[in-house]
Amino acid sequence: MTRVGIPRALLYYEYYPMWRTFFEELGAEVVISPPTTQTILTAGSSRVVSDTCLPVKIFLGHVLSLVNQCDFIFIPAIRSVKRRVYNCAKFLGLPDMTRAVIPESPPILDIDIDVNRPRRVLYRAIFQLGRHFTWNPVRIRKAAEAAWQAHLNYYELMSRQALMPPQAIELSTDTQELKTGTFNDILTPPQASIALIGHPYILYDDHVNHRLIPRLQKYDINILTPEIVKPEILDENTARLVGSAYWTYEHEVVGAGGYYLNNQVNGIIGIMAFGCGPDSLMMDVVRRQAARLQSTPFMCLTLEEHTAEAGIITRLEAFLDMISRRRRTEKQVCV
Amino acid sequence: MRVSIPHMGNLHIALKALLQRLNVDYVLPPLNNRRTLSLGAKYSPEGLCIPFKLTLGNMIEAAERGADTIIMVGGYGTCRLGYYARVQEQVLHDLGYDIEMVPLGVSEKKLFGFLQIIKRLSNNASWFKIISAFRFGMAKLNTLDDIERLVQRMRPVEQVPGTANQLYARAIDAIDNAEDYTGLKKVKLDYSEQLYHINKNTDARPLVVGITGEFYVVLEPFSNLDIEVELGKLGAEVKRTTYISEWTKFSWFLNPFGINEKDRIHRAAMPYLKRDVGGDGWESVGEKVLHAREYDGIVHLAPFTCMPEIIAQNIMPSTHEHIPVLTMLCDEQLAKPGVLTRLEAFVDLLERRRRSENRRAIAQLS
Repeated sequence: MTRVGIPRALLYYEYYPMWRTFFEELGAEVVISPPTTQTILTAGSSRVVSDTCLPVKIFLGHVLSLVNQCDFIFIPAIRSVKRRVYNCAKFLGLPDMTRAVIPESPPILDIDIDVNRPRRVLYRAIFQLGRHFTWNPVRIRKAAEAAWQAHLNYYELMSRQALMPPQAIELSTDTQELKTGTFNDILTPPQASIALIGHPYILYDDHVNHRLIPRLQKYDINILTPEIVKPEILDENTARLVGSAYWTYEHEVVGAGGYYLNNQVNGIIGIMAFGCGPDSLMMDVVRRQAARLQSTPFMCLTLEEHTAEAGIITRLEAFLDMISRRRRTEKQVCV
Repeated sequence: MRVSIPHMGNLHIALKALLQRLNVDYVLPPLNNRRTLSLGAKYSPEGLCIPFKLTLGNMIEAAERGADTIIMVGGYGTCRLGYYARVQEQVLHDLGYDIEMVPLGVSEKKLFGFLQIIKRLSNNASWFKIISAFRFGMAKLNTLDDIERLVQRMRPVEQVPGTANQLYARAIDAIDNAEDYTGLKKVKLDYSEQLYHINKNTDARPLVVGITGEFYVVLEPFSNLDIEVELGKLGAEVKRTTYISEWTKFSWFLNPFGINEKDRIHRAAMPYLKRDVGGDGWESVGEKVLHAREYDGIVHLAPFTCMPEIIAQNIMPSTHEHIPVLTMLCDEQLAKPGVLTRLEAFVDLLERRRRSENRRAIAQLS
């Protein structure tokens, strides 16, 4: 059986159920890399120039951990998934860059996704991807349809049950019951609710963000993430804040930021990687908006390889202290 | 209405000619200087590249001089640049300047979009007037670039260091002051003559160093700390394919007819980078591959945190065409001594490489 490796980084959190369904329908076995560790990060960053952004370094570390584990590695070059909205250059150059810096990697399956070009170009790309596994075009078509359905189900699941991608992936690919509890409704916050905004590959990679989510959960905080908001609402908020969208995955930052700023959360934490091109502009848009409204506390954490855990904890504790003090005074005012 | 535009290389001279001919009220920000950079760096979001900071500095300085309309490039593409106009407008508003930003979509509207903007700014001047003014601006741009090419060739071989640069500075002024085509032609002939007749070391065979990388930092000498002049002083002849006049020639006049000067570069990059990554990343890789035989070395200029150039920088070392590449990241922290040290080491390396190659060639012959 052909084994296809998928690195557990970057777009894994957005599209894993889709990719997995596609390859399994075509009779391949899907291998994913283990969760990020310091070894993976060090291995990845040893291959590239130091200015490369943290998520890409981690991605390359994951690719390195898949070497000798599989026959192909799947790295798509996603140029656009919406009309006239393009993707960050790092995603486009990813297959070529991986090939250049990891010469020992298994053959890379790259596919150009660009909806700005005619539809048949996209179909041909999908077909060519499937040709590695089967000669039968009907089977490829069926696999692609099943994969698209799996993707829709995945997003539906996340916004309906208010799940985070790792839990939703677990739920949609395995039959086992969900371990952790779901989130409560936004309108009735039992304890302080804090919105996290940022890209899934930073929010849900526990090594990169120094276990931010478990840490917040320990403080008994209701965590809200971009994924639990319906995509249409995110798009609406993106349009309100920055006009027509410019980058593909910016609704996770600016759309979610705009939404939560108007939705009575107790605080918003933005998380970005140092040197992230799109985020450097978008986080600033959210920060400016927060400063203008002056209703919700906003903090931006910039992560990089050297980010010390202690620094994150200090800032987090100070932020949480501020929020609880704010809530206390608000209650007193109400009484 | 008072129009202004941020600086990039010698672009302001051509635009000045254009706007003057149309009687548009305009003001130019002072040439890039330390104050521009510190103003820009102070009010920019952290993590943005030097083109953003310098153009923002230009805008603030233009606003101080009374500008209320600023033309800024924009448009779709994968590089951040397309989005800058919108964020800069917000920053200026937050600073209390009431500025109208006119985005110039370079990627979609092409020449006609630019002319339309000019028509709007010039209070609906006639198309004839606009096109003749535009032609004159283009003529200035072409003259400037022709003189610059000549200066690049003369710098490494001049006997008295600095002669070519002095002539270049005077030529820029003369071109700026030229009022019609005949004047311009005279200036061009005059200065070409003078440049050709500089005292030269006739037996010098200068190293050829290619300059490639991101458009803005390559063209704006302030952002790369006059790297071309410094290379010239070290006895290296600078070659580059990026010129404003070349860019306008192809992207405004020839591309609509399907002629693309970059096709050759893209094809060269194909084995290593298959797709456009936005900005000039694809071209950087392509130029290294394409010119590996003609150049002795390449200086790759990129703004710090530039996304496409980081991709290029990662891919460049793995090409089969071996040629030394020095990547220089430009931002407000870049200092002259650091640049000089690196350039000296780089030129030393190139010289040694050339000597050993020569020796090998002689050994093969005998």
